[in-house]
Amino acid sequence: MTILDSTASGLAAAAEPAAAEAADEHAINTGELASWFQITPLMIILALFFGLPMLVVLAVSFFDFDRSDIIPAFIFDNYTDLFRSEVTLRLYLSSLKFAAIVWAVTLILGFNIAYFLVFHVRSLLWQIGLFLICTVPFLTSNIIRMISWIPFLGRNGIFNQALEGAGIVNQPLEFLLFSDFAVVVAYVHLFTLFMVVPIFNSMARIDKSLLEAARDAGAGRFRVVAEIVLPLSKTGIALGSIFVVTLVMGDSFVVRTMSGGQSASVVSALQNEVAALQYPPAAASAIIMVIIVTLMVAGILRLVDVRKELAG
Amino acid sequence: MEDKRPWTFYAFAAFFTLFVLFLYGPMIVIYILSFQGPSGGMTFPLNGVSLHWFEALISQTRVGDIAGSFQRSIGLAVLVAVITVVVSVLAGLAFRRRFRGSAFAFYFAIASLIMPGLFVGLGIALTFRLLGLETSWFVSGLGAQLTWTLPFGLLIMFAILGRFNRSYEEAATDLGATSWQKVREVTLPILLPGIIGVALFGFTLSYDELARTALTAGSENTLPLEIWAMTTNVTSPTLYAVGAVTTIVSFIVIVIALSSIAFIQRRRALGARGELVTATE
Amino acid sequence: MANPDGSGEVAVVGVTKRYGETVAVKDLSLTIPHGAYCCLLGPSGCGKTTILRMIAGHEMPSKGDIRIGGTSVLGLPQIKRGTAMMFQSYALFPHRSVLDNVAFALKMRGAGLSERHATARELLAKVQLEKFANRLPPQLSGGQQQRVALARALITNPRVLLLDEPLSALDEYLRLRMRGELRRVQKELGITFIHVTHTQLEAIAVADMVVVMANGHIEQAASARDIFVAPRNAYVTRFVGGQNVLCGVVEGVSDGTAVLTSRQGARLAFPIDGRQPARGAELYGSIRRDRIAIEKLPAGSLPPNELNAIVGEVHTIENQGSYVKVTIDLGDEEEFVAHMVDDEFFRDPLDIGDRVVARWSASDVNLLDDGLNVRPAMPMAAAAS
Repeated sequence: MTILDSTASGLAAAAEPAAAEAADEHAINTGELASWFQITPLMIILALFFGLPMLVVLAVSFFDFDRSDIIPAFIFDNYTDLFRSEVTLRLYLSSLKFAAIVWAVTLILGFNIAYFLVFHVRSLLWQIGLFLICTVPFLTSNIIRMISWIPFLGRNGIFNQALEGAGIVNQPLEFLLFSDFAVVVAYVHLFTLFMVVPIFNSMARIDKSLLEAARDAGAGRFRVVAEIVLPLSKTGIALGSIFVVTLVMGDSFVVRTMSGGQSASVVSALQNEVAALQYPPAAASAIIMVIIVTLMVAGILRLVDVRKELAG
Repeated sequence: MEDKRPWTFYAFAAFFTLFVLFLYGPMIVIYILSFQGPSGGMTFPLNGVSLHWFEALISQTRVGDIAGSFQRSIGLAVLVAVITVVVSVLAGLAFRRRFRGSAFAFYFAIASLIMPGLFVGLGIALTFRLLGLETSWFVSGLGAQLTWTLPFGLLIMFAILGRFNRSYEEAATDLGATSWQKVREVTLPILLPGIIGVALFGFTLSYDELARTALTAGSENTLPLEIWAMTTNVTSPTLYAVGAVTTIVSFIVIVIALSSIAFIQRRRALGARGELVTATE
Repeated sequence: MANPDGSGEVAVVGVTKRYGETVAVKDLSLTIPHGAYCCLLGPSGCGKTTILRMIAGHEMPSKGDIRIGGTSVLGLPQIKRGTAMMFQSYALFPHRSVLDNVAFALKMRGAGLSERHATARELLAKVQLEKFANRLPPQLSGGQQQRVALARALITNPRVLLLDEPLSALDEYLRLRMRGELRRVQKELGITFIHVTHTQLEAIAVADMVVVMANGHIEQAASARDIFVAPRNAYVTRFVGGQNVLCGVVEGVSDGTAVLTSRQGARLAFPIDGRQPARGAELYGSIRRDRIAIEKLPAGSLPPNELNAIVGEVHTIENQGSYVKVTIDLGDEEEFVAHMVDDEFFRDPLDIGDRVVARWSASDVNLLDDGLNVRPAMPMAAAAS
């Protein structure tokens, strides 16, 4: 993960070139002390509520369990059971399928929305206004946004009523709600913003004259996008992809609600195990999931250097 | 003559409008349906207009403890916002210097941010269980939410500090400010709009949080957990009424935060008129 | 203050500044007398701003000492050094009124509201900005902001004012006006000004003393007039402009004049000011652009066989109003420019591509150090044998 490496230090270098020098015999390391003091609260909270709990998950994934309790042990059964079960593969395929579809849809939507906001909206005030319109729903409840699709997609929902009213279908469409379709709709609704914002940020940094120069050189609209805009916004695309993929892979609530219990994901299965107090298998499943998501994120980072984006 | 916009502008504008409809349409529909008449159902048509479902929200015990969970959620969100502001502003300032361990601290925070929320909740729940502690929304729940709001706040601080001109602080030191005076009189006031942004994110991320809180809230639910429970057993427009109320709260917070940021920025850009401003203390 | 009598003599003593592997300033020593207007001049990255920031106390030297009024100020907080800094961006606090910006130092010192506002108003009056006391900085124009920054820096009664590219954010017109203003204020206050700039004419226009820097060391520190008329080496000559660099191989020396042959075969004469360049040594000199006479060379005529006359082709012509800048291509890399008085030029205008002879008098040539440094003149005894 060397790509992210210089992000934090890059910020430090940009902000304060001097204080870091070990060669400065006059500069006693008061700066470093102050930084440690300032970072301590964050580190303590994260250590207690993130570091330690994740270590516990790792430990418990090797534990034994019975109906009511977990039993400290060091066994690999939870993992071997996981790899032996056919369900595991099905769950992962299902999660990956959702991740792939949602990634593709949010990428197309996010890229075009960001492109419109950056290159077509000319007044800054309008740009800020439209950007806020896209952002505000993000600050409202995800569950409410999710359930707001129920009156829309239901058997007697608005969509079916409209279709029937227009005479397009005779019977209400059944597949709209409580289906994979509904799950994807809800994911796209919830997560597109995570694509829009980083792509918007990297596009906003593209010098507009580059596009004019490309047009002067005879590039058509499509070529300009393909040759100039796309390569220069790939850091934003990578960052947005990381957000969307990790969000979808880590979700259980959307898939449960919107599929009406018909589809499952790795995490929703894990949640069932937790509900059944089967902590060790759940922990093992979580560890495997973390490894897979980490590999996916590392893969994206390998393709694109996102350093500039985060430091910006 | 104004130069003409290309046809693609109109295509994109139409596309954007559709997206906004997609974003807001369903939400608006449930706000309308929350005013459904007493005999109305979960979808159109409206059987009259009433506040019946809002009343049901307060009176009906069957739907659970909406009022109590609402209070808890607001309290928790305020707590999270305050802690997020203090801790992530401090941490943001720390990253302006290079220090041993900074790369580790950065990765640790990012890992905490992208870790699936339910796993964090599971870990905290297991930890509390092994330590023989009771989970509760104001300890384990609070901690679980902070693993998400603090890294978020830190990233926002990076963005804010990246635009902050160091010369302001150097000028303050030149003019005799002590470190503390410098932070209080110059750094924090200049960063204030960004800090309000951090608080806004801290509040709303907590107020709407579900995955991390689900296994860590203990016996008393927060509002999103209460709503989550309702989705499985409530089949009346009460659900929409809850949605309308929570969203109104979110909007109030957003409007307060954004307008105070806008007010500060405007004041700085334009200022109040000439001599009318009394010197700020 | 470290120095109550307030001498603003600034001494940089053997200072080196390293950033990791990079050396920004190399063992540099410089003394700026009390009450001088000193310009640190050089291209970006030459270390001039680092020097300024070390004097201000925003950076620590890796080695060496900084003294103000004879006392070392290393480790002293900024306010105790008696320096004040004007930042390139002015760094006016955007959330405070102009008056509160100016009064900031007094507030830090714990002065009461009425006292500090009274003092700040006096200073604002000095820079003619009383009317704007209650405005916020972003509401002011660039020139007004600069005056506020000046007033804010002066409220601490500094002995040394440090200015980091103070004019670079202004447009051409204001820049010319403000540099005169800065010079006037400096004379009035009688304190030391140290002004960092990359603009040659700005330095020459305002400074008593100009320090030309390159790659972390000083190329020449001298009065503005000397920097212009008697640059020390080819680097300074080329950087300051105003003169052309000449170069040739020594053929012979007589009567305090060296006769040289340039690479193009032209014969040059340099005054050698008592130095003893060896035959065959490469010697550098400079000639002011406005001391060169240009004459068209009729087609087919032979180049003149005289000293200090070189032939070339007119490359560019720029009318500067009172004079015309003519660039002549001599067939090498060196830019050769002549400034012709407008009347003279327009009597018989030149055209691009014309072949011309440039002539000057040997006494106008300024000998540069370069050749002498690279191949030092032989000791007398060795030369005689």
